[in-house]
Amino acid sequence: MQIVTVCADTPEEIRDGRGAHGLKAHMLSDRDLTVTDAFGLRNRGFHSGPPVGAEALPVPTSLLIDGNGKVLWMDQSEDYQRRSGPGTVLAALRTHLD
Amino acid sequence: MKIRAKKVGTTLGVLALVVAAATVVLWFRRIGEVDIPEDRTTYVIFFLSAVALGVGAFVAGARWFGGVAAVLAIVIGSFFPFTVAISRQEVAANAIRVGGSIPVFSALDENGEVFESATLAGKPALIKFFRGHW
Repeated sequence: MQIVTVCADTPEEIRDGRGAHGLKAHMLSDRDLTVTDAFGLRNRGFHSGPPVGAEALPVPTSLLIDGNGKVLWMDQSEDYQRRSGPGTVLAALRTHLD
Repeated sequence: MKIRAKKVGTTLGVLALVVAAATVVLWFRRIGEVDIPEDRTTYVIFFLSAVALGVGAFVAGARWFGGVAAVLAIVIGSFFPFTVAISRQEVAANAIRVGGSIPVFSALDENGEVFESATLAGKPALIKFFRGHW
């Protein structure tokens, strides 16, 4: 299964972050939020400090898709300080892919 | 009696700062481990406790040392609950939903190479939008 991450960081910042956190995924840079907007995930609520050069940020969201690109499951943060924890994501994988 | 109250004030002020600082350290350690708790209630309680202790220090009549510690504790302890209060997020009405199909997209990866969404076809995938690496 492929894992893709999307954020407003530049490729350089993502490289540094990957070095720090050791993530194994396709990590995409979406500085101008083109991908975020295609999914409709730009945050319309209050923004706490988007990085310089990014006018907004995506709402943290996890999407599980099938081989046809259909969304099987998603988890979205109602506030920016909450994330889908590993347990939540693994439970979704077991439910939808077993 | 007055001197004793000031000692209590200093103790409360220092205690407030210790609680606030320890909670900050624990919180940033969780962030560093990319392990932010889904439920932050415990942290909010500890930060608000630091604020309460800081206010208590002034009520007890803290002198400058306890007063400075209390002010720092109140500032630090208030900041986190404030960020919780303003953290609500909203997406567009036409945002992607369960049952919908993802749009075709392409973007640069961390090596500056183009990634096409077409490469996801045929297998399940997990797509994770996040705010940034900080």
